[in-house]
Amino acid sequence: MMAIKRGSLYVVLILIALLLFFPIIYAFLVSFMSTKEVLMGHLIPKSFSLTNYIDAFQALPLLHSLINSMLVSIITTIGQIIVCSLAAYAFVFIEFRGRQFLFFLFVSTMMIPWEASIIPNFVTVQKLGWINHYAALTIPFFATAFGTFLLRQHFKTIPKELHEASRMAGLGHLTFFLKVVMPVSKTSLVTLGIYCFLTTWNSYLWPLLVTTDERSRTAQIGLRQLHAQENVTQWGVVMAGVVIVAIPTLLVLFLGQKHLQKGLMDGAVK
Amino acid sequence: MAMENPTSTGKVPSLNMPYRTFWEKTRPIQVAILFLLPSLILFSVFVFYPLFRTIYLSFFLTNQKGLPTVFVGFDNFIQLFQSADFLQSIEATFLFVLYTVPASVVISLFLALLANEKLKGIHFFRTIFASSLGVSVAAASVTWLFIFNPTMGVLNRMISFFGIPEINWLADPHWALLAVSITTIWLNLGFSFLIILGGLQNIDQSLYESSSIDGAGYFYQLRRITIPMLSPTLFFIMTVSLINAFQTFGQIDLLTGGGPGQTTNLMVYAIYKDAFVNFNFGKASAEVVILFLLILIVTLLQFKFVEKKVHYQ
Amino acid sequence: MKRKMIVAVFLLMSSVLLSACSGLSHADDNRIQIVFWHSMAGPPLEALNKIVNDFNQSQDEIYVKPEYQGSYEESLAKFRRVGGTANAPNIYQAQDIGSKYMMESGDIVPVQKLMDEEHYNMNQLEKNIRNYYTVNGKLYSMPFNSSTPVVLYNADAFNKAGLDPNKPPETYSQFREAAKKLTQANKGMKGFSFLNYPWFFEELLAVQGGEYINQNNGRTGLATKATFNSQKGLNIFKWLREMQKDGTLANYGTSGDNESSGFLTQKVGMFMSSSASMAEMFKNAPFKVGVAYIPRPDNIERQGVVIGGASLWLSKGKSAKEEKAAFAFMKYMASPKAQADWHIHTGYFPINPGAYKEPIIIKNYKKTPQFKVAVNQFHDTKSTYATRGPMMTLMPQSRVIMSRAIDDLYQGKNLQQSLDTAADHVNEAIAQMNLANKK
Repeated sequence: MMAIKRGSLYVVLILIALLLFFPIIYAFLVSFMSTKEVLMGHLIPKSFSLTNYIDAFQALPLLHSLINSMLVSIITTIGQIIVCSLAAYAFVFIEFRGRQFLFFLFVSTMMIPWEASIIPNFVTVQKLGWINHYAALTIPFFATAFGTFLLRQHFKTIPKELHEASRMAGLGHLTFFLKVVMPVSKTSLVTLGIYCFLTTWNSYLWPLLVTTDERSRTAQIGLRQLHAQENVTQWGVVMAGVVIVAIPTLLVLFLGQKHLQKGLMDGAVK
Repeated sequence: MAMENPTSTGKVPSLNMPYRTFWEKTRPIQVAILFLLPSLILFSVFVFYPLFRTIYLSFFLTNQKGLPTVFVGFDNFIQLFQSADFLQSIEATFLFVLYTVPASVVISLFLALLANEKLKGIHFFRTIFASSLGVSVAAASVTWLFIFNPTMGVLNRMISFFGIPEINWLADPHWALLAVSITTIWLNLGFSFLIILGGLQNIDQSLYESSSIDGAGYFYQLRRITIPMLSPTLFFIMTVSLINAFQTFGQIDLLTGGGPGQTTNLMVYAIYKDAFVNFNFGKASAEVVILFLLILIVTLLQFKFVEKKVHYQ
Repeated sequence: MKRKMIVAVFLLMSSVLLSACSGLSHADDNRIQIVFWHSMAGPPLEALNKIVNDFNQSQDEIYVKPEYQGSYEESLAKFRRVGGTANAPNIYQAQDIGSKYMMESGDIVPVQKLMDEEHYNMNQLEKNIRNYYTVNGKLYSMPFNSSTPVVLYNADAFNKAGLDPNKPPETYSQFREAAKKLTQANKGMKGFSFLNYPWFFEELLAVQGGEYINQNNGRTGLATKATFNSQKGLNIFKWLREMQKDGTLANYGTSGDNESSGFLTQKVGMFMSSSASMAEMFKNAPFKVGVAYIPRPDNIERQGVVIGGASLWLSKGKSAKEEKAAFAFMKYMASPKAQADWHIHTGYFPINPGAYKEPIIIKNYKKTPQFKVAVNQFHDTKSTYATRGPMMTLMPQSRVIMSRAIDDLYQGKNLQQSLDTAADHVNEAIAQMNLANKK
């Protein structure tokens, strides 16, 4: 009985995994094809030659832009975790008048589409003299309603008694925040970190606008340069670029997942 | 507000002091502001300022450099509500939200429940299920463009295998929005899955153990323990997916360009076109204001009616 | 562990601030640096980089730094904001339909000024291309990447359908007939495909001598009205509708990539394409690809095609030295040698006819004579206001509007009505823009 249940579970898991992973496998396969093979609709490349990868690396300073992407994503992630966890803490553990209103004001910032504020923000960044600086790529994203919201939801699951006990013990807010709240919320912090890293890594329009120079550019812009506008797209090379740029993100996801599991194991404090 | 007695709003930090100065009375809000300061500064510069700028511009005609020239009052808004195109774009946006949000949440809940089973190698499946989070919108759209290709796409080759006639997914007004929605759901799954799985694993196992002793079945446990305990997470995912769905842009740009017949011309895409291609900032700003209000209303409703059902510890 | 984290965070934070202050400037040699913003990606990017490198190596006074700025739209949105400021590049590549904005922006210097100062012989540039960028006798920008529309067809499928691949169709009725035969004779193939890309509509209008907007296509005054909903505009839609009814017209929506793959997998027999993608098509097709002139109605004489693509603009507000250096680079880009390279590697036309005498082109034409068809179609063009192309600030917006009309066509809506609605929308936009610009 158990064996049957387990077996059918595996079948379901494998089927779903195949279905969900198909687009990624497909992209991977395409990255080995010539333009001709791609356009003919082949599924399996004739050979797994690395020509497309070599072409992608030759066409662009990919390595340099990957380093930039890495730095920008890490800085943004750390900045966002600090700024958002501070805000979320205030919303959960400090009772002050107007808290509800202020929180909603925060959440409401999520409702403004970023595409809509891009141009005014571009002007601001230009006035600040941040064009081509990491500051323009990172600082505007330190504060996000999304991150605050995510952490608030988690902080709310921390038992109130813990807070009261710590106050009885004479701990101030900052100590409680650093010594209790942050360690207990490791999983959420990692989740936010993963999310933030990946969205920063994958953003395109903003980095394109605030940088003009190859030296401060991120990998997604590099990717776009493989994709011609009035021409037949060389899909193989484009996909090779996509795969190169996606490897770090999949790695972060994989490692983050592992860490999440570990965090859950020893985070038995509830 | 400053005159308010803090005791009325909750616990007081100073317990043994008979006399409290103004400084001490407003202590909570001071601390709160310190904690909130970084966010407040950044929001003011990068969110509220553009928002006010946008609201201001929405009352003007703008020139080709995007600068306001003629004050027109509510004309931009009136014109928008009289334009069939804009109304259609609102409709498409709501349809899109309807197609994507419930499906994303339900499917990822299902996946999370599956992946929460204690099986050998489950970590592998978890990573696979979360993998779409690691793929950028641009890369995913390009891949799906191939999958939807009417002649050589995998999807059509599959359905023609079953004898169903080929569908022109992205160029047929009946299918385009659905096709974009499928792509979007796929894109959403990784993240929703990860968050819900995290929520599931946070649930105290002893709750299940005690109910198992009472002989409760799987679905009973699901309904009585899992879902209520998961509700803060589900609420979060619902709100975020909702807002994200309202703001979908990348996959539209790459898959359909708003067509065919404007059936996929979602609001943010229309805004992008007006702001970036047409450089009509007055109109684009008015559209932003309307979109903002729409999302605000929907989210308010959600907080009012749905968050009540959320079970916080 | 925790302390390490804190130190790491601190270091990263300070590095942000540091980079914010110091910037990422790099050591410079004594050459004049010219910043060149462009939108070239994929194979054209490689070709461009090669030309720029050649230039940089050919002398030691000027160093040109090409910087990619996204698609034409993204790049123009940015230029609108930085034009005239210190962040503006020396040379800016703008798409054809952005030309009117550039002329009026006040942020550029017409290249005519430099040409006059240096007595540059502008007759060496292709007249039909020059015409597009000339308004009131003044050449505003240096043409660079120019393309025209052509019809590409599957010559093997022509044979199968009993059509002569050496005598492709010319008129609407011939195209319709050919499309029918192709569809019948080739299993799973549709005869013709028309992408929802309004540039093709503009071209099909121009080939009949139809003007897109009034004031002689906006060339003798500010256009106030759209005129593409004329009989000539309707001719195009009617013809496409007929083929749609015949079941010989394929619809790939707005996706050029899907259309190309349809052609290469023999699901489409003929389609309208940019000459810029010919080279890749010849390379990738598993059959012989033919090139034909774009179609015209049976009773209307062919006027020719409008040049598309992009040109190079000089920023205003730079020092005279930089301006001269930037112009020197432009001259190099327009030289027969650079243009021959460019033409062969991308499929864009040489803007300098001298390029046709370069051995690399002569050799290449021997191998693929189809290239010549596109060049001939372009040289056969009669210079009229229609074929010089519409000049209007709102061209990008009018394309968004026309794209809907083409959708209407595919969805079986009334043709005249769809065109009229599109024209109304363009007129409204023009009226509003004129109002906004009065001040």
